[in-house]
Amino acid sequence: MEKRIMRRTAADNAYRHPDFHGALSNGIEYLDRTYGPEAVREYLWQFSSAFYAPLKKKIAERGLDALREYLEDLYGSEGGRIHVRATDDELRVEVESSPDVMHMRNTGYHVARLFREVTSTVNEAICAGTPFRAELLEYDEQTGRSVQRFTRRDA
Amino acid sequence: MIACTDFIPAYSELFKYLHARGGEDAVLDFWNYLSDNFLGNLKELVERNGILGCWLYWSHTLNEEAADFTMELDEDAGVFRIDMHKCPSMTRLLETRHMEPYPDYCGHCDVLYRRVLERLGYSCETDLSRCKEARCNMVVIDRRRSS
Repeated sequence: MEKRIMRRTAADNAYRHPDFHGALSNGIEYLDRTYGPEAVREYLWQFSSAFYAPLKKKIAERGLDALREYLEDLYGSEGGRIHVRATDDELRVEVESSPDVMHMRNTGYHVARLFREVTSTVNEAICAGTPFRAELLEYDEQTGRSVQRFTRRDA
Repeated sequence: MIACTDFIPAYSELFKYLHARGGEDAVLDFWNYLSDNFLGNLKELVERNGILGCWLYWSHTLNEEAADFTMELDEDAGVFRIDMHKCPSMTRLLETRHMEPYPDYCGHCDVLYRRVLERLGYSCETDLSRCKEARCNMVVIDRRRSS
């Protein structure tokens, strides 16, 4: 048999590997089983507080408009459809189905028992220290369909 | 939702979280769990196709991850090799200026893949000595061919 050789540079492909959602789900499941549900929330809070620090700064400076832009990019970049209603004091986001959950359902990856925390805890951590708070009003475990609301704390 | 493009920092922070809770052993326990529970597709491809399964598996993942790499397969010799010229994961971590990567971030690759492949009769050697430059290599050898 002939030798096979494949040479690629970063410019040859777009960086998008949706199987990573399955790896994250495994991490959530592992934390839940090994250390308990609070470990899932603690980890996601720590990660989000650190990683989304630049986004938190934008929200503090520009308000919910910065969060709306972020969420539209986030879901749009992975083919998710969302519906947004926004005022200066409230942002309501309806996600038809979440690309992470749908990818895992379609490819057979296990969806962690507490995978909803990847939406609820992450949103809460993003808003912590800003004038806004996050609520996950609805969440469907099968599809990731959700209703997310962000409101001004003193509104 | 955490974007799949933001997964690598999330992964690195998970390793840091586990290390803080239980040291290196806690991280290693998770890597072993992940190998057993997440790499079923690698295992199935190699079981079905032999060392060609490595080529099929990494053809998919490295292209989706937009890696800069050279991959070689010599089925007659039973040797598969990846030379990672610029790892997209480590590059991403090094470019995320406001966070520090887990110091042994690259160690997970060695543990996860070796655990699957050695059980199937392959040796799997990784050279992570240049991982802070986002460079590494891995050589998989079919032990039945080489003996």
